[in-house]
Amino acid sequence: MPSKLKKNIPWVEKYRPQSINDMALPTAKIKGHKVKLNEDLKNFIEYFFKEIEQINIKNRKIRQFNRTHLEKEQKEVLKIAPEKAAILLEGPPGVGKTSIVYALANDLNMQVIETNASDTRTKANLEAKLKETVKTRGIMDYIMESKRKLILIDEVDGIYGVSDRGALPTILNLIESTQFPIILCSNEYKQNLQPIYNKIKKYEINPLPDQEILRVAKRILKEEKISDLSEEDLHLIIEKNNGDLRGTINDIQALSQGVMDKEYKDLILKLHRDSYEEIFKLIRDLFQKVRTLKEARGLTDKSDVDYNFLYKWVNENLPNFINLKNEITNAYDNLSIADEIFGRIRRNQYWSLLPYFYDLFAGGVALSKSDKSSKPGFRRVSFPRYRTSGFFAVTATEKLFTEKIQEKYNISEREIIQDFLPFLRTLCRSSRRQLKEIAEWLELDAKEKKLLK
Amino acid sequence: MSKEIPIWRVKYFPNTLEQICGREKLKGRLNSFIKSNNFPHLLLAGPEGIGKTTIATLFSKAFLGDLFNPNFRIVYADIPLTSEERKQARTEAYVSKSKIGSLAGRTITTPAFLQLKIKPFIQLKVFGGASFKILIIKNFEALGSNQQGFRRLMESYGTNCRMILITTNISSIIDPIISRCQLLIISAADYTSFKNLILDIANKESLIVKNKTIELLYRITEGKISNAIDLLQLSSINSKNVDLNKLYDNLISSQNELIRSLLLLSFKGDFSKARELSRNIQASYRYTAHEIFKLLLNELLKLPLSTFSKCKLIDLIANADFRAIDGLDSDIQVSNLIAKICYFSEFI
Repeated sequence: MPSKLKKNIPWVEKYRPQSINDMALPTAKIKGHKVKLNEDLKNFIEYFFKEIEQINIKNRKIRQFNRTHLEKEQKEVLKIAPEKAAILLEGPPGVGKTSIVYALANDLNMQVIETNASDTRTKANLEAKLKETVKTRGIMDYIMESKRKLILIDEVDGIYGVSDRGALPTILNLIESTQFPIILCSNEYKQNLQPIYNKIKKYEINPLPDQEILRVAKRILKEEKISDLSEEDLHLIIEKNNGDLRGTINDIQALSQGVMDKEYKDLILKLHRDSYEEIFKLIRDLFQKVRTLKEARGLTDKSDVDYNFLYKWVNENLPNFINLKNEITNAYDNLSIADEIFGRIRRNQYWSLLPYFYDLFAGGVALSKSDKSSKPGFRRVSFPRYRTSGFFAVTATEKLFTEKIQEKYNISEREIIQDFLPFLRTLCRSSRRQLKEIAEWLELDAKEKKLLK
Repeated sequence: MSKEIPIWRVKYFPNTLEQICGREKLKGRLNSFIKSNNFPHLLLAGPEGIGKTTIATLFSKAFLGDLFNPNFRIVYADIPLTSEERKQARTEAYVSKSKIGSLAGRTITTPAFLQLKIKPFIQLKVFGGASFKILIIKNFEALGSNQQGFRRLMESYGTNCRMILITTNISSIIDPIISRCQLLIISAADYTSFKNLILDIANKESLIVKNKTIELLYRITEGKISNAIDLLQLSSINSKNVDLNKLYDNLISSQNELIRSLLLLSFKGDFSKARELSRNIQASYRYTAHEIFKLLLNELLKLPLSTFSKCKLIDLIANADFRAIDGLDSDIQVSNLIAKICYFSEFI
C-alpha cells in the first residue's frame, strides 16, 4: 500500500529538495548585482530573529513605561523596518522559488506557513490564517519550545480582482507587525504590487542553466529506474522547458508513465508548455483554419494566452496573412473597434463587454478574409515588435539630455523631443564639425552624443 | 559671451519684447499693460510653434523687471503627475486635527494637479514690491475637467497672482474660463517682418539669400520662425549661398515631409511599408495617435486632390480619430486609418 501511494505522488513533490545545499540553486540578482542566494537568505532569517528579539525587549520596556506613566505622553511602540522583515523572490515559474523556501526551512528547523493562489485571499481570510500567528506567539509556543515559523506568501502576483480584495494592504500591514520572517514569491512584475516593491528588497531569480536541469533529471531517471528515454529526447524536453525545472520533471513523468508504445516525440510535441509556440500555432489556426465565428471563439476560449497580448499579436501578423486591400480594411475596422471596446473595458471596468472584444478581434479579423485569397501553407508569424505607450514618455538618457538643453534654451520636454532633437540630428548628420560644436556647447557625454547620431 | 552658440535658433532667440518678430498690434497692447502696471488674466490662443510662450515669458520679464525670478512660474498642464507626486497629494489632502486653522480635521478635495503644481505658487505672497505674481500655464486645454476647479482659483487668488493661459485649441476650454480672461489671438508673423528678420540673420552670418527663397521659406514654414531658422541653418552648411534647391533638399527630412510620404505610400496601396513608416514616425517623434491624425490632416489639405476626395479622406481621418479617443493601442488605430486610405485610393 505505501509503495502504491508513493507511486502516485507527482515527482515534483517526491523529489522536492530537503536541504538548500543539495538542490539545483538558481542564480539571483538584486538591482542587477549578483548575490549568493543561499547565504543571503540564511543571513536574512538569522538577522531578522536577532533584530526582532531586541525590538521586543525594547517594546516591553516601552509598554511598561506607558502603563506606569499614564500622565506623561505615551511612547510609540517600535516596529521592525520592512526591508528587514520581508523579501520578495521574483522569477519565472518552476525555477525553485518555493523549493528554496521549504529547503531553507528544513535546514533551519523551521515550520513553513504558506498561502498561495489557491486560497482566496481576502482581507478576512488572510488575517484569519496569518495574523494571529504573526502578531503573537501562542501560549503553547512558550511552553513547548515549538519550531520557529517562516511565512511564505506564494504567487503574490496572483492577488487579483474582487475575490482577493484587501489582500495587499493586509500583507503590507503584516510586514510591519510581524514576529516571523516573511518571504513573498511572484512570477513577474505587476503594477498593482508597486507598494510592495517600494518597501522591500527584490531578488530577481534567473532561469536554471540547462546542465543543472540535466543533472537533476538524470538523477531522477536513475532513481526511478527508467532507461528507455534517450539522451536526445531528454535534451529536447529540457530545451523546450527553457529553464523550468518543474516543467521538465512533469514532462519526464508524463512521458515515462504514459503509454509506452507511442512515439516519444509525438508526445513531446503535444506537451505545449512553450507559450510562444502556442501563440504561433494559435495565430496560424486563427487565420488559416477558422471558418466560423464559433470556431474562432472556441479557439480563443481554449487557449490560455493572455488576451492583452493576443490581440497585439493579431495586429502584428494581420498583413502577413491577409493581402487584399478590402479585406485588410475590413479586418482593421473590426480590430480597431475591438481596441476601442477594450479601452472602455479597461478604463471603466465594463468587463461585461469582453465577449464583444473577443469576437471582434479574433473572429471578426480572421473572417474578413474570403476563401479565395486564403492559401494554405506556411506563413511566418512575427512577434509584436512595436509597443505603444498611451502617453508621452522619455528615457533616462533623454531626460538628462533635455535638462541640459533646457539650461541653455528654455523650451518644454515635448518640444525638444518632437521638434528640436530631430533638427539637431539632421544638423549633426550633415557635418562632423557641427556635432563637435554642439556637444561642446551642451557639454554632452558619450552616451548623450549617441542620441544625436 | 565667450563662445559662439552653434544653434542659430538659440543664438537669435529674442531677449526682449521688442525683438519679437512682427505682431506690432499685440506688442503695443502688451506695452500698454506694462505702462499701466496692471493687466487682467490673459488667454493666448494660436497655432503651435509661433511663439506664444516666448511672447508670454518676455512680457512677464518686462512687466516684473528685477523681480522676475521669484514671482514667475511656468507650468505644463499636459505633463501628468508622477506616482510619487500623486502619493504626496493624497497624504497632504488630509489636514490633521492638531493643526490650527479652519482647515483642521478636514480633507482637501482640490484636484491633485492643482493642489501640487499650482496652489503652492499662487498661495504665497508676492515677493518684493511687484504688483502681483505671474503664472503661465502651457497647453491649458490638457487640464480637462480640472478646468472647473481652476476657475475658483482664478477668482480667489486673482489679486495675488495673474495667470497667462496658453492654448492651441480654444474650443476645448470651458466658457467660464474664457469669460474670466482677456483673449489674445496670436497669429504668425507677417511676411515683411519675417523677411526683415531673415535678412538680418543672413547679414550677420554673411549668407546670400534671395527674395524668392525667403518667400518659399515663409510659405513652407507657415511663418514659424524657429523652424525657418533651422531650415536656413541646414541649407547653409556647405555654402553661403542659400537657394531654392537646397531648401527643398533639406525639407525631405522634416517631419511634415515624412507624414506626406506616409500619405503617398498609402495612396499607392502599399500597406506594409506604410505601416512600417508610421511606426518609425511614432517611435522617433513620440507622437500619439491624435497627433499623427492631426498632422495627416494638415498634409492632406496641401495635396492637389479634388474637393470630393479630400472630404472623403477627412471623413476617414475623423472617424479614426474618434475611435482613438477610447482605443488603447495607437498603432492599431493608425494602421486602421492607413488600411482605409489604401483601400480608398483605388477610387480616386
